[in-house]
Amino acid sequence: MNGFRKTHDTILSVHDLRVNFASEAGTVHAVRGISFDLKRGTTLGIVGESGSGKSVTSMAIMGLLDSNAHVEGRIDFEGENLLEKTDAQMSELRGKRIAMIFQDPLSALTPVYTIGQQMREALVTHNPDMSEDEVRARSVELLTLVGIPNAEQRLNAFPHHFSGGMRQRVVIAMAIANNPDVIIADEPTTALDVTIQAQILDVLRTAQKETGAALIFITHDLGVVASIADDIIVMYAGRPVEHASVGEIFSHPVMPYTMGLLGAVPRPDQAKNARLVPIPGSPTNLVNLPEGCSFADRCPMAADICRAGEPQMEEIGELGVGSETAQAHRVACYRAGEILAQHMTFRDVYGMEESIPSIFADVPREQRQMVLNVEHLTKTFSVSGGGFLRRRVGTVYAVNDVSLDIREGETVALVGESGSGKSTTLLQVMNLAAPEQGSIELFGTDVAAKMSRKERQMLHEKVQYVFQDPMSSLDPRLPIYDILAEPLKVLGMSKQEINTRIGELMELVGLKPDQVDRFPNQFSGGQRQRIAIARALAVNPRLILLDEPVSALDVSIQAGVLNLLEDLQNKLGVAYLFVAHNLSVVRHLASRVAVMYLGHIVEAGDVDEVFDHPQHPYTKALLSAVPVPDPEYERQRERIILDGDLPSPTEKIEGCAFASRCPLYKQLSEEQKRVCDTQRPSLVGGAAGSEGAVSAGFADSLSTERNTDRIVACHWTNVA
Amino acid sequence: MLRYVAKRIANYCVMLFVAITMTYFLASAFMDPRSNYMSRNPRPPMDSINHALDNANINDQTPVITRYVRWLTGVVTRWDWGKAPDQSSVGEAIVSRMGASLQLVTLATVLSIVIGVSIGVYTAIRQYKWQDRVLNSIATFIFVIPPAVLAVAVVFFAIEVNTVAGSRLFYVTGLHSYQGENFGLWFLDFLQHLILPTISMTLGGAVGYHLTQRTYLLDEMNADYVRTARAKGLTLNQAIRRHALRNSLIPTAQSVAFSIAGVFTGATVTESVFAINGLGRYFVTTIGQNDINGTVAIAAFSGVCTLVGALLADIVAAWLDPRIRLN
Amino acid sequence: MAEQEEKTESIKRTGRFTLYARRFMRRPSAVAGLVILLLLVLWATFGGMLTHWNYEDLDFASLGVPPNSDHYFGTTDGGGDLYAMVVRGLGRSLTIAFLSSILSTFIAAVYGVGIAYFEGLTEKVGMWVLDMLLVVPSTLLVAILVRSAGGTSGWLWLTIGLTIFGWVGLARVLRTITMSIRERDYVRAAKFMGVRPFTVILRHLIPNLGSVLVINTVLGVVSTVSAETTLSFLGLGIKAPDTSLGTILNEGQSVIVTQPWVLAIPAAVLIILAFSVQMIGDGLRDAIDPYSRSAGKAA
Repeated sequence: MNGFRKTHDTILSVHDLRVNFASEAGTVHAVRGISFDLKRGTTLGIVGESGSGKSVTSMAIMGLLDSNAHVEGRIDFEGENLLEKTDAQMSELRGKRIAMIFQDPLSALTPVYTIGQQMREALVTHNPDMSEDEVRARSVELLTLVGIPNAEQRLNAFPHHFSGGMRQRVVIAMAIANNPDVIIADEPTTALDVTIQAQILDVLRTAQKETGAALIFITHDLGVVASIADDIIVMYAGRPVEHASVGEIFSHPVMPYTMGLLGAVPRPDQAKNARLVPIPGSPTNLVNLPEGCSFADRCPMAADICRAGEPQMEEIGELGVGSETAQAHRVACYRAGEILAQHMTFRDVYGMEESIPSIFADVPREQRQMVLNVEHLTKTFSVSGGGFLRRRVGTVYAVNDVSLDIREGETVALVGESGSGKSTTLLQVMNLAAPEQGSIELFGTDVAAKMSRKERQMLHEKVQYVFQDPMSSLDPRLPIYDILAEPLKVLGMSKQEINTRIGELMELVGLKPDQVDRFPNQFSGGQRQRIAIARALAVNPRLILLDEPVSALDVSIQAGVLNLLEDLQNKLGVAYLFVAHNLSVVRHLASRVAVMYLGHIVEAGDVDEVFDHPQHPYTKALLSAVPVPDPEYERQRERIILDGDLPSPTEKIEGCAFASRCPLYKQLSEEQKRVCDTQRPSLVGGAAGSEGAVSAGFADSLSTERNTDRIVACHWTNVA
Repeated sequence: MLRYVAKRIANYCVMLFVAITMTYFLASAFMDPRSNYMSRNPRPPMDSINHALDNANINDQTPVITRYVRWLTGVVTRWDWGKAPDQSSVGEAIVSRMGASLQLVTLATVLSIVIGVSIGVYTAIRQYKWQDRVLNSIATFIFVIPPAVLAVAVVFFAIEVNTVAGSRLFYVTGLHSYQGENFGLWFLDFLQHLILPTISMTLGGAVGYHLTQRTYLLDEMNADYVRTARAKGLTLNQAIRRHALRNSLIPTAQSVAFSIAGVFTGATVTESVFAINGLGRYFVTTIGQNDINGTVAIAAFSGVCTLVGALLADIVAAWLDPRIRLN
Repeated sequence: MAEQEEKTESIKRTGRFTLYARRFMRRPSAVAGLVILLLLVLWATFGGMLTHWNYEDLDFASLGVPPNSDHYFGTTDGGGDLYAMVVRGLGRSLTIAFLSSILSTFIAAVYGVGIAYFEGLTEKVGMWVLDMLLVVPSTLLVAILVRSAGGTSGWLWLTIGLTIFGWVGLARVLRTITMSIRERDYVRAAKFMGVRPFTVILRHLIPNLGSVLVINTVLGVVSTVSAETTLSFLGLGIKAPDTSLGTILNEGQSVIVTQPWVLAIPAAVLIILAFSVQMIGDGLRDAIDPYSRSAGKAA
């Protein structure tokens, strides 16, 4: 790789780029001096949290910033400064020499034009002489390249006929249509499921290989760049803080912020062995920047010098991997010398905290009280046609025969792609009403049973809910005090009791009690989620349902919220039922996990067991799709990439729902395949291995057996 | 598609029936045709008053239910919309006035759309520039002026021009006054009559289209797909023209479709100010004359036009927006 | 600690309205609109004292005279003092517009939020009724309603008419907004906590609709003034002996050449009124509406 790079010259060179925006609050210093050289055929990862300036940088290169942006510096492309070009001049480069892929594929395509028309535009804009036949042939070729089946027919489809992953493929196809020299991908997989993310990363690699383009890959997720980037720039508050080859960054990070980003993220491939260490504080405000290093306020290493002036990017020696030709390791940190000299690691910089022991630590699971017991839960939705007429088109089994149980002090996670029914399961439990089919028992009480208002209220108190996005789950017009008082008022507490309780709650979630008079928008995302958690805890629930509790938060903040959840559980013994698409978070927080696919649970069991020895082919694929922040590991691991998307939920599937995408299915004999096509596999004790496991008789013993160990719904786990 | 439209129409018929019935009872309760005769001097004999009222089926001494049933039977079986207090046929009156409304409103509607949408697009592209600010302020100003004031102001202005010019360039009443055979002169005369009411209606209509089209386009201009189009190599203006504009025209096309049916119902204020015998003016007359049947017929006709407009709007939206399917 | 919390809370509350006021005051046009409207209200209330003429009096000594020191705005053809008439007419128009706008916003809020919150059949039937009420033009229905009313109670019937046929459009808008608010997580959170529906509506839905309600009430004044003027102008609204700006316009139309002031003065007053209210409405929208573009960060 390094030798390859040496023979190639620099295609794009950014020098001291600065971007300001005027806003009502004041001037936003979005980018404050970034420089890098991009060499042909290589991939540069730009990593940072929201507000780090990474996307603004890419938009500046494309010349797509709003007119209120003030841009300084140089962006040299083949010896010409792009910043001096007009929109018309830039449009000749855009899409031809420099192409871009955006974050949200759902809104990136014009809804009223067909895929073919939009492909055509990408081609004809730069090749006005192309004939219709050539355009068509090239479009089909490109769409096939990015993995769209039946490309010929799909040309006439409209974007809304495509799934998010498919649309992103179309966007990539348009980006590579004219063999660009540079492709900029701005969080191209953030809006997608992990299995689709793996597909898209694969397509990007193919696209890069086909075109030989240099790639700028922008992301907040260090795991994603580990497998794709050659060099990485870490940005914080509009400035690069560390720039090195990918191996260097991951094995020898120097800047405390980089260390923090790497250290604060749980690893999906390793059992939880220690408490997460969060980066304190929240991302820096770009309007009123501090005098010195913008990270100083959050940095455990910060000294007086750090607050005096901003450190510049400086070269330091090679530390580990790499050779002379590799990207020089550059860091903007006054304390870099000490960190290097003492070989300090994340643990040295941020210290270690001990977890609080759980109050249930000594009680075996079987002896703990059953908090929630769901049996054969089924929830259907009727699907109506789009537009004005709401005609019933079909029935979707959002949740299909799901059984699970939770005991005191434990965390059960539901994982799966979007559309797998995990959130619907959560909402069904929260409804506290008789489900369509099956039963829901809370603390031994069937929720379908007749009860007085009072009794139902008591049940309500024991189960609480935390939403994904604290921005929308807290009424923006109420001060925190009123938000926290709401559940307490339902209880009929006196004013005095409510006051005392709110004080306790604020302290419990690590906020200052005197902040209760503020409004939600005066808090950062992490603080808001703490408030949402405090509200859930207000009535002393025994079970909290968590719907993606950290996915809306910045990476550096997630660890703090995860630690809080962990501490609260250990201290209070509350149980969690937890939905997440981030499998690293699941592995860290959950004790048990259930993998869902199209409304079914396909595998369940102890979290370490399932993650280390997955048995269902879907679980295997899901885990293999999760990016790991370790380039060594990424390079060596075997990857299972699933074909296509989730089947349409309206489709009637006789046998195994996963068969259409199953890698194992393809290897089976015709006879074995027929079993998959015709019989729905039932959940059976894991590693059963015998063919007898298929028999229907086995399923009956399930309800007694499934609590004890793991269960898998696949006919052929022994074959794999 | 056809099934959808059929179902829609069925629903609309029910809606229309309920609305017209409501109007009938409301009009019967609040309008007093008897007073037309009572206030005459000399007052006609009671018998002949009752006879005249009975003949038109608007006698308040007959129970309203009986009148309603009789009226409905007439409409359904003979397409007879009843008589005015002066015994003239309501149906004929409406048919004879539709033409005048059509002549008057069509041009103004077309001009409103063309001018309003163009300015809306022009200002949206120049958001926050002086052109946008000036045109927007003017539009807001015209927007809040009551239509009566606007129409009268146009008349006032035209009379000034006539006075200054010393000849009648503009006519302020009616649609025609030329009696000869020459088509050219006839048409010129028509234009001289038409121009003022058209200006007054176009002013009001165009600012509406301007302000909404501007909002629609601004919303679409910030959409992600416009950025994608620029990333493909389109300039900002090309991306807006080919992508954002196309999308922003969908809701505008819907309101255009909606307004098409409105050209038959006329413009009440304009017709009154310029003394044009269209349906708008007829509506004022019927109410002034306590013409219950005439009022209900006008309500029914406007109702049909509104619903036809609504149906057209739906069909246009489905036609322009592939995300909407009428099936 | 409890006391301190109570105190800071109340301080914060006023802070929010101070913020609205500050954002509103930042717009010169909004402030100008407010000042003009207040002056108009003052004038309509007390302006009659500045002349010894009453709007009903006829001065047969001066028929159709231009503005002078006795008749500030001149007189009409019949000898009515235009100044007194405009003051009276403005008062009528203002009363009708504000009353009707507030009342119809109230009806629209109850109806629109109600059908949206209870969903299902309630919503379906509710929407059908709304659509049905839009079939027949509301101008026509109002005109029918006012038809039999006499000169003195006419304005009351006009207010009633404009109210009961004027809320339909707004109810549709409010239903649409409620539909999105009812799906917000904080409303669902309140439901999950077992908060009663009525409390949810009062604590979460109405406050979050509050801005829309205030803005629509204000902008509703503009459209009601317009509707009232139109009807009165056509002779279908306010009738003699009462007077409104619309009836004066009607009178002025026939003497447009000989006595242009009879037309120009009420027209100017109407335009000033409508424009000032519109400016206030726009200013309020920017100040209160959290979704407005210029809202910025509330800190």
